[in-house]
Amino acid sequence: MIRAARRTAAIAALAALAAFGLLALSGPAAAQTLGPNAEAEKCLSCHGDQSLGTIDVGGAQKTLFVEATVYGTSLHGLLDCTSCHLGFKPRRHVAAESANWLETAKLTACGNCHADQFAMYSGSFHGHLALGQAGSNAPLCADCHVAHNVVDVRSTAFRRSILDLCGHCHGGRSNTYLDSYHGKAALLGDNATAVCTDCHGAHRILPASDPASTISKQNIVQTCSKCHPGANRNFAGFLVHVDPRSPHSNFWVWLFYAFYITLIVCIFTFGGVHTALYIYRGFKDGLYNRRGH
Amino acid sequence: MASTTAAVTEPRTYLEYKRFSAFHRWMHFLVFVSFTVLVFTGMPLKYKETHWAKWVMDAVGGVTAAGVYHRIAALVTVFYWTCEVLLMVYVVFRNRGRGVFAPGSIMPNKKDWADIKGMFRWFFGRGPKPQFDRFTYWEKFDFMSLVGGTVIIGLTGFIMWFPMTFTKVLPGVFINVALVIHSNEALLAAGVIFIFVHLFSAHLRPESWPIDKVIFTGSLPLEHYKEERPLEYARRVQEGTLGEVLVVRRITWRTRLTDVIWYGITAVAGLAAVLMTVFIVWSIFS
Repeated sequence: MIRAARRTAAIAALAALAAFGLLALSGPAAAQTLGPNAEAEKCLSCHGDQSLGTIDVGGAQKTLFVEATVYGTSLHGLLDCTSCHLGFKPRRHVAAESANWLETAKLTACGNCHADQFAMYSGSFHGHLALGQAGSNAPLCADCHVAHNVVDVRSTAFRRSILDLCGHCHGGRSNTYLDSYHGKAALLGDNATAVCTDCHGAHRILPASDPASTISKQNIVQTCSKCHPGANRNFAGFLVHVDPRSPHSNFWVWLFYAFYITLIVCIFTFGGVHTALYIYRGFKDGLYNRRGH
Repeated sequence: MASTTAAVTEPRTYLEYKRFSAFHRWMHFLVFVSFTVLVFTGMPLKYKETHWAKWVMDAVGGVTAAGVYHRIAALVTVFYWTCEVLLMVYVVFRNRGRGVFAPGSIMPNKKDWADIKGMFRWFFGRGPKPQFDRFTYWEKFDFMSLVGGTVIIGLTGFIMWFPMTFTKVLPGVFINVALVIHSNEALLAAGVIFIFVHLFSAHLRPESWPIDKVIFTGSLPLEHYKEERPLEYARRVQEGTLGEVLVVRRITWRTRLTDVIWYGITAVAGLAAVLMTVFIVWSIFS
């Protein structure tokens, strides 16, 4: 019996070893399909170093580190680095390469593959600012689609990140959005509710004053109808970005807010004082010691 | 040994004072359940940035599920409100409009104002405790704020439930105003019920401590009621209507079992109310 058991154990151990060996052999191949490609490996021999950085034109420290696993598993993980970083050679880069890329290719490289989106972006408010004004802070493609970690825009993770992406520059607007039902539901885990881009669009964001905008007088009803079939003009008059705490945002909303806060404070104060005094008198007169019902 | 004998021979039949009918007790039960559901599925939206809001929402099954429960509880609210109002209208018609503000009525009257002043004098030891009729001023406030508040919170709730229908007539800003009113009226109602009026009235004050179970049993010992509401007792003796409100309460295993069930439900809802109160207070002061 013992011998049989030993033999079984030995076979099991051998099988485990064999399986481990197979895994070990297949390991590098699997890593190659998921991780950065051969060309990217060259770049990562320097850019894979966490301490790699430079001083930006503005004098700020800037990291040049790219995390291989993050990039490798992103939607762009199979692309060569130079697909986007046009004109760079695998060596210590000369100043002209960087300057040239920052001034031209960084802005337009995405358009080489994503021509439609780039055309929409170029005509948008953000695009006009970014492409038309030197030194503008307007977002480029990579500011919303994180450069080395491009993910599926339909993913829950990306939808949830939109609030922070827009809020980075439009903090006030994103706060008022969070006070609306859409914002509340989004924060509490409803992934179907409208986020910024569902109303404002993504690539072709235009100010409300532009008739072509998704939120212009001409288009707003249609924009609301995407989720609320049958929406009418009054319905679209709902104010998404309203701050109840400010009379300058919307007077009526503020008025009711101020009225309720006053009412709540008065009633709670009276109730609190009344309760406290009743309990105090109850203790003082020993009313709590009597047998209740 | 002596105590055991005493327990066995203790009378199990009492003459009690009937304060609430089965109708009122069932209405209270509906309020009690629907209100708790409404607060738990609605308050997380008001305090959406807190950890507890996320926790409560996940616990009830997410925002969409919470929305469904909130609407079901809203329909229960419409039901009990309609029943109560129909009853009030019926009573007014039956009495041909007389006695709406009479001593035994739930409607406020001049004596309530005198009672408030009298109670504050008593709090500071400068006078005797005022004597009450069937309802005290805080009970009237508790009831009327619920009946009135339901109209406000119900209308604004329906505007947000059916925005498309309402905006056929009303401008879109009414949805914004509806949200502000609904949300703050909810805070007001939760505060009134969970802390400042109802908790005080039914649990904290010496006459109720630790729990006034009359809304569940319907009646309470005659001696106790005589002491708490002397004016109603005296009025009924004078009118000769005391017999209408006297009931014989027999303590059997069934009444004991229902007591246990009621206490269980009360304990669960009470703990939930305390928890929600802690959450809200924490959110306001952090």
